[in-house]
Amino acid sequence: MFLHHLNPSIKALTIGLIVILLALIFDPVTPFILLLFTISLTFIGGRVDVKKYLLYFIPFSILAFGMLWTTIVFADTPKNPEDIISVLGMEYPRESLLTAIALSLRVLSVASLSLLFIFTTNIVDFILSLIQQLKLPPKIAYGVLAGYRFLPMMKDELAVIHAAHRIRGVNQVLTLKERLKQYKRYSIPLLASAIRKAERTAIAMESKGFTGDKSRTFYRRFTITSKDWLFIIIMLAAFTTAVYTSIKLGYFNWYNGEI
Amino acid sequence: MSNWRFKEIVVLTALSVVFAVVYLAFLPVGKILVGLFGPIGYDLIFGIWFIVSIIAAYILRKPGAAFLSETIAAMVEVLIGNAVGPMLIVSGMIQGLGAEAAFAATRWKNYSVWVLMAAGAGSGITSFAYGYFMSGYAALSTGYVVAMFAARVISGALIAGLLGKALSDGLAKTGVLNSYALGKEYRRKNAS
Repeated sequence: MFLHHLNPSIKALTIGLIVILLALIFDPVTPFILLLFTISLTFIGGRVDVKKYLLYFIPFSILAFGMLWTTIVFADTPKNPEDIISVLGMEYPRESLLTAIALSLRVLSVASLSLLFIFTTNIVDFILSLIQQLKLPPKIAYGVLAGYRFLPMMKDELAVIHAAHRIRGVNQVLTLKERLKQYKRYSIPLLASAIRKAERTAIAMESKGFTGDKSRTFYRRFTITSKDWLFIIIMLAAFTTAVYTSIKLGYFNWYNGEI
Repeated sequence: MSNWRFKEIVVLTALSVVFAVVYLAFLPVGKILVGLFGPIGYDLIFGIWFIVSIIAAYILRKPGAAFLSETIAAMVEVLIGNAVGPMLIVSGMIQGLGAEAAFAATRWKNYSVWVLMAAGAGSGITSFAYGYFMSGYAALSTGYVVAMFAARVISGALIAGLLGKALSDGLAKTGVLNSYALGKEYRRKNAS
């Protein structure tokens, strides 16, 4: 349950750092090891529902597969065209194939890192920690929290607009063209009501004394503890181990100014 | 930030929240297109992901509106708990910067169709530069990368620029924007 108690800002920054480091790597072994590591860490260090996790993970797999075949098809001319691997009776240049696998594993690896964050972080905590640790102006942060509250309301609002249109007999959606028209009909009322709600919320907050002043006090304080440092060290160690293994196996390859 | 009314900030975030949902709804569309056409699939409809910058800047007409709205939309996308994770906030910021640059070039004075289209294209340029680095487009052949770039910039100008303007104008007509820059301009025009 260790992941749930980390400082949300530090967690986000650490993951961001690892993603940037991953972007520099062009070999398949490093992202693969990191992928396995991140998934295990998510389930060992956090309370995560396997079914929900898979539901989120599947779209990324499709994306990764798209990345895989397009990178092979549209790859740069390889440096050693003679060096060929044959898979399922088709022959590919070794270099293109490895890069393609590397890029799609990278997609999955970044996805697993993101899911680690999403599944173990409370939204309100994240925003409060952004104010406290990363000095996000409270005016914006509370604006976001207020705006975020509109999210469930939007669904109700959509139902209201839908009902209003039906009463006036304009809701016979059968074809794709009509469906597009329907979206057009919904967009303006939906936005208008969102703006009205925002305006009322802002006035209510100001009338109750919200000034957006930076020197405010907090009921819930977030601090950076040794646990957070441990998390940074674990993640960096995992990355280094992955790179080291990749070098040992002779696959290591990183971005060196190719355009 | 001091010349922003709090009302404007909350309206900006409300717009960002609405479009964050729209952005998420378009991700599977993008994924299907990617499955069909390869990475260029995203670029064809990439403009949709810049639209809140253009709408917020056009309605509020304040320095920073384009950048902030896109950043907040990205934050909300992360908060809803989908998409590409915390790194999405960085790509949102980069897209917002591209649009902001176009408005900054006119010193936040001109909001004509051309400037809005340039802002959409600007987001396309910065986001492509970022994507080039982060998604490893370097591994793709040059011709394909150029085609992706062109598709994204055009999509930014058309979808974000033109559609964004049309939506904002539609909103101005309803009168909800009467206390914001676009609504004020709309009323002035109608009065004269």
